[in-house]
Amino acid sequence: MLLTGAQIIMECLLEQKVDTVFGYPGGAVLNIYDALYEYRDRICHIRTAHEQGAAHAADGYARSTGKAGVCIATSGPGATNLVTGIATAYMDSVPVVAITGNVNVDLLGLDSFQEVDITGITMPVTKHNFLVKHIEDLADTLRQAFQIAQSGRPGPVLVDIPKDVTGQKYDYQKSEPLPLMPLPHPDEKHLQQAAEMLRGSARPFLYLGGGVVASGASAEAKVFAEKLDAPVSASLMAQGAFDAHSPRYMGMLGMHGTKTSAEALRNCDLFVAVGTRFSDRVLCNAGLFARNCPILQIDIDAAEFNKNIDVDLRLEGDARQVLQSLLALLPQQEHTSWMQQVAAWQKQYPLTQSAKAGVLPKDVIETLDALTDSNAIITTEVGQHQMWAAQFYKFRRPRQFLSSGGLGTMGYGLGAALGAQAANPGSTVVNIAGDGSLHMNCVELSTVANYQLPVVELLLNNSVLGMVRQWQKLFYGGRFSQTTLDTNTDFCKLAEAFGVKAYRIRTKEEIEPVLRKALAEHGPVLVDCWVDRDVNVLPMVPAGASAEDPMLEM
Amino acid sequence: MHEDENTKQYVLSILARNNPGVLLRISGLFSRRCYNILSIVACQTEDTDYSRILIVVSGDDRIIRQVDKQVSKLIDVENVTVLQRDKAVIREHLLLKVSRTAQTSEKLVELANVFHANILDVEPDSMILELTGDAGTINSFIELANPYGVLQILRTGAMAMGK
Repeated sequence: MLLTGAQIIMECLLEQKVDTVFGYPGGAVLNIYDALYEYRDRICHIRTAHEQGAAHAADGYARSTGKAGVCIATSGPGATNLVTGIATAYMDSVPVVAITGNVNVDLLGLDSFQEVDITGITMPVTKHNFLVKHIEDLADTLRQAFQIAQSGRPGPVLVDIPKDVTGQKYDYQKSEPLPLMPLPHPDEKHLQQAAEMLRGSARPFLYLGGGVVASGASAEAKVFAEKLDAPVSASLMAQGAFDAHSPRYMGMLGMHGTKTSAEALRNCDLFVAVGTRFSDRVLCNAGLFARNCPILQIDIDAAEFNKNIDVDLRLEGDARQVLQSLLALLPQQEHTSWMQQVAAWQKQYPLTQSAKAGVLPKDVIETLDALTDSNAIITTEVGQHQMWAAQFYKFRRPRQFLSSGGLGTMGYGLGAALGAQAANPGSTVVNIAGDGSLHMNCVELSTVANYQLPVVELLLNNSVLGMVRQWQKLFYGGRFSQTTLDTNTDFCKLAEAFGVKAYRIRTKEEIEPVLRKALAEHGPVLVDCWVDRDVNVLPMVPAGASAEDPMLEM
Repeated sequence: MHEDENTKQYVLSILARNNPGVLLRISGLFSRRCYNILSIVACQTEDTDYSRILIVVSGDDRIIRQVDKQVSKLIDVENVTVLQRDKAVIREHLLLKVSRTAQTSEKLVELANVFHANILDVEPDSMILELTGDAGTINSFIELANPYGVLQILRTGAMAMGK
């Protein structure tokens, strides 16, 4: 079938069962947008206010569904505006396919109008990227892009397509999506060794990372934790990978982890890490981490072994498959006194918050948790509110918590929320934000308004850059350089200007009724919730200290 | 560069698909992960779809294992072999332009003969010599030619082939 390059792109998206894409039109993608017009009954396009929002939306779509998210941008500034979103997806291993237009092939390399070497720019932040110079390569390249993005450890792939390639005609033949690349699997000897370690442990600690979500291993992790009879902690990326309502769940580990997790780390005799890259935010001081016990690490990416910390036994493979293999080798274990000890710590060290006056973020998030029965999809920006969301919302299932872990991108959450809402129209999607982050990407309020996406923007407004301020308080003698915002932005008026309904919470008594009203809107809504600026994220491990010794107050 | 006693030099032999930008992709990975490239040689192989890229890198065993795994992850990379010096033939190529006078000419020819270097060009006041050998041989040759007045040195990085 003779089709233009742009039509071939549409057909390839349909092959991959892509129903929604996020993007922004421009000169170099005119042909693609013309084809989107033609295919509008089969492919929904959401035009964000800024390309960065489109990249985050594609990321939110991908994280909330497990399918690849797609974003489209024009050449030059359109393409570079995607970079932060692509880097965010790269750091958190999210399958995103970014399609960028470029100038005509014969204008490449001539510093032409709106030309940029986007493949060169994105090389360090993509799993792979392509420049398609020949129409005959277009369909296969797109198919490969989806295959690479979703295979093994997922990641973003960029496909740069010059404008004339999208205008040329070529014979298109429909094809099934390429099968995902084969997964590595540890050999039997190593599995036996691991099973021996597990059987020999009296105080095991199971630690889950984002790989558990990516591989769909949550059910296996639950059974494994029960069979191992171990307490469980999860990284920020793995919030929801293990039901936070379970008595086994100890909360996060690391810089803002719980005291219970820290005590378990100090006292365990085996640390089992599944699908985690041992981020410096978790290790805190790598030299002191789990220094008294062996570490068993399961990961699909061999490059994660001995990268940030040396481990005693490595199992290279998909988390789900490896856990299944280990389950077959592991008899039911019983560690009653260990589990009793963990329960005692949980009782002794609950997560608390206090303030002189006003609304506590803890109360807001716990009320949201109660009103949504722990079932909402929560996105966050980056900062104190992000940690509070992870600490106080009790996630039940994977793909429920979407947050920029690796790159720490302020401005991520609202874009991700609109992507997640588009992908999950029946779900309640709440972006928990800080006022600093909302300032960065508030333009996307116009997108949720335009498309009437029922995103709840829950703003924990303390008029400061709270997390940086907290560091200034601790390490810079309270010299609050540039972190006191006090911008006089009236966020309710801002929301209304974009066409989004708005409510305000100023007292503790208003929390529940206002949140209840906002959740009942079934349309885009912003809740401007004023919280005390002196509430800190605690516990906190100071820089250079051991993850076993978090500060409980400051 | 400070090097502790565990730091050694390794030669990575990388077979990669001959796609545009492949050298940038590989060398970029080294720079962004702060692995220091001592030399790099890229060439076509017997199969025109593939390039062979030889990178000399210094580090301890842990760093080399990381480099190996990170490079292996690149989509265009087919395989990576870390060559050990005693199990590989390692050669560099040197072009050396050296001053010459009527008085020094004979000694330079003698030096070239000792090292089995080729004389590629002779001008009234200079000479270009060519030598292939391991890094030590090439360093010695340059050192001995130095007193005559070295005008220009061009040397490739290491090419290496497993035995």
